Amino acid sequence: MKNFSYIQPTTLDDALRATDTSEQFDILAGGTTMVDLLKLDAIAPERIIDISRIASLEGYTFDDENLRFGALARMSDVGDDKTLAQICPALTESLWKAASSQLRHAARLGGNILQRTRCPYFRETHYACNKRNPGSGCAALDGGDTGLHAILGGSEQCVAMYPGDWAQALIAFDAVVTVVSSKGTRLIEFADLHVPPGDTPDIETTLKEGEIVTQISVPVSAAMKGSHYLKARERESYAFASASAAVGVLEDGGVITEARIALGGVASIPWRAREAEEYLEGVRLDEASAFETGRIAFSEANPLEGSAYKIKLGASVVAGALLTAQKRARQEG
Amino acid sequence: MAATLDTRVTRYEAPSKVTGGTRYAADYMPSGMLHGALATSSIAVGEVVSIDTSTAESEPGVIAVFTHENIADYKQPKGFYQGGPGTASFWPMTSTSIRYAGQPVAYVVAENAAAARRGAALVSVKYETGDASIHMDPESSFLLESEGMNVTKGDVAAGIAQATAVVDETWTTPFQHHNPMEMFAATAEWNGERLTVWTPSQSVRTARGGVAMAYDIAETAVEIISPFVGGAFGSKAGLPPYTMLTIAVAKSLGAPVRLIVTRPQMFTVASFRPESVQKIRLAATADGQFTAFEHIEIGQTSQFDPVVNPGTHMTRAMYASPNIYTEQRLARSDTNTPGFMRAPNEMQSFFALESAVDELAWKLDMDPVELRRKNDTQRHPVADVPFSSRSLMECYDAAAASFGWSERESKVGSMVDGDWLVGYGCATATYPTAVAPSEARVRVQSSGHALVELAAHDVGTGAYTIMGQIAAQRLGLPVGAVDVAMGNSNLPVAPLAGGSVTSASSGSAVHLACMNAGADIARTLTQMDGNPLSGLDHSTVTLVDGVLQGPGNESISLLEALKLTPRGEVTAEGRYAHPDLSSQALRATYKGGYGVAGPVTDKHAMFAFGAEFAEVHIHRWTKEIRVPRLHGAFAAGNILNRKTAHSQLMGGMVWGIGSALHEHTLVDTERARFLNSNIAEYLIPVNADIRDIKVEMLDEHDDYVNPLGVKGIGELGIVGTAAAIANGIYHATGQRLRSLPFTIADMV
Repeated sequence: MKNFSYIQPTTLDDALRATDTSEQFDILAGGTTMVDLLKLDAIAPERIIDISRIASLEGYTFDDENLRFGALARMSDVGDDKTLAQICPALTESLWKAASSQLRHAARLGGNILQRTRCPYFRETHYACNKRNPGSGCAALDGGDTGLHAILGGSEQCVAMYPGDWAQALIAFDAVVTVVSSKGTRLIEFADLHVPPGDTPDIETTLKEGEIVTQISVPVSAAMKGSHYLKARERESYAFASASAAVGVLEDGGVITEARIALGGVASIPWRAREAEEYLEGVRLDEASAFETGRIAFSEANPLEGSAYKIKLGASVVAGALLTAQKRARQEG
Repeated sequence: MAATLDTRVTRYEAPSKVTGGTRYAADYMPSGMLHGALATSSIAVGEVVSIDTSTAESEPGVIAVFTHENIADYKQPKGFYQGGPGTASFWPMTSTSIRYAGQPVAYVVAENAAAARRGAALVSVKYETGDASIHMDPESSFLLESEGMNVTKGDVAAGIAQATAVVDETWTTPFQHHNPMEMFAATAEWNGERLTVWTPSQSVRTARGGVAMAYDIAETAVEIISPFVGGAFGSKAGLPPYTMLTIAVAKSLGAPVRLIVTRPQMFTVASFRPESVQKIRLAATADGQFTAFEHIEIGQTSQFDPVVNPGTHMTRAMYASPNIYTEQRLARSDTNTPGFMRAPNEMQSFFALESAVDELAWKLDMDPVELRRKNDTQRHPVADVPFSSRSLMECYDAAAASFGWSERESKVGSMVDGDWLVGYGCATATYPTAVAPSEARVRVQSSGHALVELAAHDVGTGAYTIMGQIAAQRLGLPVGAVDVAMGNSNLPVAPLAGGSVTSASSGSAVHLACMNAGADIARTLTQMDGNPLSGLDHSTVTLVDGVLQGPGNESISLLEALKLTPRGEVTAEGRYAHPDLSSQALRATYKGGYGVAGPVTDKHAMFAFGAEFAEVHIHRWTKEIRVPRLHGAFAAGNILNRKTAHSQLMGGMVWGIGSALHEHTLVDTERARFLNSNIAEYLIPVNADIRDIKVEMLDEHDDYVNPLGVKGIGELGIVGTAAAIANGIYHATGQRLRSLPFTIADMV
């Protein structure tokens, strides 16, 4: 770990002032990803601005129109929230099934959505990596192991996977992110926050220099009640998704009138499967159509050696998630 | 035969461990201590062309950077396969040669650990890179030839010709790493020609002997201190380069130096469980009688050592068959030398054998338990000597009853629980009982306190408590009145904590030391007037649970007797060696090596047995494999402490679930490197994976194995678990999985 200067502001204004620096800086919240990367020398900022003590960014509130989450709300608190579980099970399930309880206690929502990839070639500095060191190449694609890599959204420069869970529920339900900088406040559609690697894998988001995520809000929608997050993982807790799906459905007269489907563990960024949604709308949801929806969700997939199984697995996970969501949508009350 | 302790004593250090009070080797920090860090190679095979250490040297806090060009006083003992204690015969930083990825290339010393690690990251190395293969190539394997290594009994081809059903399959097992919680570490301090090393070790005497030999100094000038070991599982058994490097730089700098190896480096600077290929042919008549068993095992080794983990020696002991052929082969790879990881011979080979037995049972349409019963034997099928005790089928019957095996639907894919497919599988567990020579010293004071001393090791198993219990029982004292000192090379000889030998071997020495203490006091009292033993022949007096008893009704408690003696205390030693131990093996142990009697002697075969039953669930949508129930019954002679024994067996079974479903060191074949060298991505079971685990310990009486009637249990629980789960997966889905670990990808 390289030496860095460390600032721990207690107000957002102080944090923004700390961003006014010629030092290359990173924002630290829960630190559950960043401390790893610092220790691995995968990142080496000159300044760390630790925003975890800014009380105004904690907490979360719900009203009839919006679910609002402070960027420093803890994954564990929100994941355990019984009211939210009633409103939108996919939002709590995707937090519950992330990481371990220890990590969920430490990790904050704003940091969680910006979680970095677990690609081993990114994390270990011995390897060439276009994301860590632009232009150095991609060891994964240069004869490396691609069993852990993205089959959707990758490029010839980078196939690193976005590892998070909650982001799938957020993108499925059209979340909006509030960011603040010394220049003011702006809103970003969650679907526009992350950018696929393309030719510049080092650019992961549309956040601008000095912008701090302060809030994530999700508009309340009818398909929330019939929602579900299904995650396939190699062990029962503390494992990244082999494939996952955050889905929501609304039924009327025996057919699906609204479908929301997002995919995790398979893509380079949080992934909304819009074609699959379009297919399902107007269709009667049963096992056959559920599988067909899953198949369509992966029709654009680019299988890599070792991860091709994710196409079939992902389709199966989408199907299973939809059928559970349908049961929930049909429940009274 | 000693009385069964049959107790559930909590290990005495438990509260201290869970509250962070226990001091491990790396917690001892001699004054003036400096901090070391390793820089390791980014290539697997090649040459170091040049190393630029200037940036590292100018990093604030860095004191010195050592490479192969400037390291002084760096000595190497012989490697394990050259008859020494070194973990490998190739020593890094002795030349420009790079033989495996992650090989140490520089040793940075600094005022604090952070500066040392920063310095290590700044060491810049230019390489000439050669071709490397991290996987072994089974096609290029070679036969191991030494006495007893391979056996031919009867004619396997003829046996197969007589058979109704034959299984002829190949199983494979992957790289695994021990990943003990406690990191590898070494702290070295020289005082003139005297050396103290604090390091977590499974064999302080081996380490002492190796260091003394390497530096050509007296063994008594070297002290190895390893008070507690936070998990070892075979990874802390020998003398590794990181320890010898630390000793060297401490000597060069004239100051104590501590090195704590990082987690990723732990994957490359020490050993691992090698890859293996298991080829088995198993044949039986229509009624299930085995007619032939053939097992060819190919194990992985490095380019510079022939590591042998002879699994076939265990599988050929298991079932009666008139025709048996076994063969051990090795194939080389560009890795560090592999080693021994919990049940190093048994885990891989029993995954194969016990899967094969299950496959044969399905072919014969027989209950797999009954197929094993049909071929159970009380004589070793190759050595043709009786088992000292063998309760395999008793274990099957107990575990089957507890598990509810009779409720199994004997059709593939017939059992369902909601979205989960359900399967039942079972398999045999075994572990050889080997016993090593050991000494122990006991001092008993009339105040009612005793001290037991021996150079044995507590690798997290509760060995301190077991030794204390044995002494307390013999001396008639409460467990809390007995102090136990271990983990220091100055103490009486004790064996390496490997092969599950400690309780049987060192426990027997503690037992003998206590009996000798009793005999010593008896001798004194019979020669004194005015006590119940006065005038008796001392050889007729024996110590029974703290009471000296004469041939009549004469008796006096050991403590009362001590109060009558001039010194008021007694010190005695116990020297234990199994009567079948060769003098060669005995001498090897005293020289710091590993000499054992068993598991097969001229008179008996000594093995512990068990049976494990798994309920396996496979999720319809996510294809996840879970093991909600795992029941095991074990017969391992006399159980000294039912609480710590339960933990050992349960821990083995949990590890078995890990071997079946999680553990796998991933590799980058292009660059011959390990990929998931951290414990976030190197998966082991978490609490949520472990649901209903039941451990049953059957009574078994065995006078032959050792005076305590004890068989080792540290490794027994892991053996067979993977096969039980594989067999359950088949029952649930009809899919035969023959490569560990079984993952979601296998089920899609």
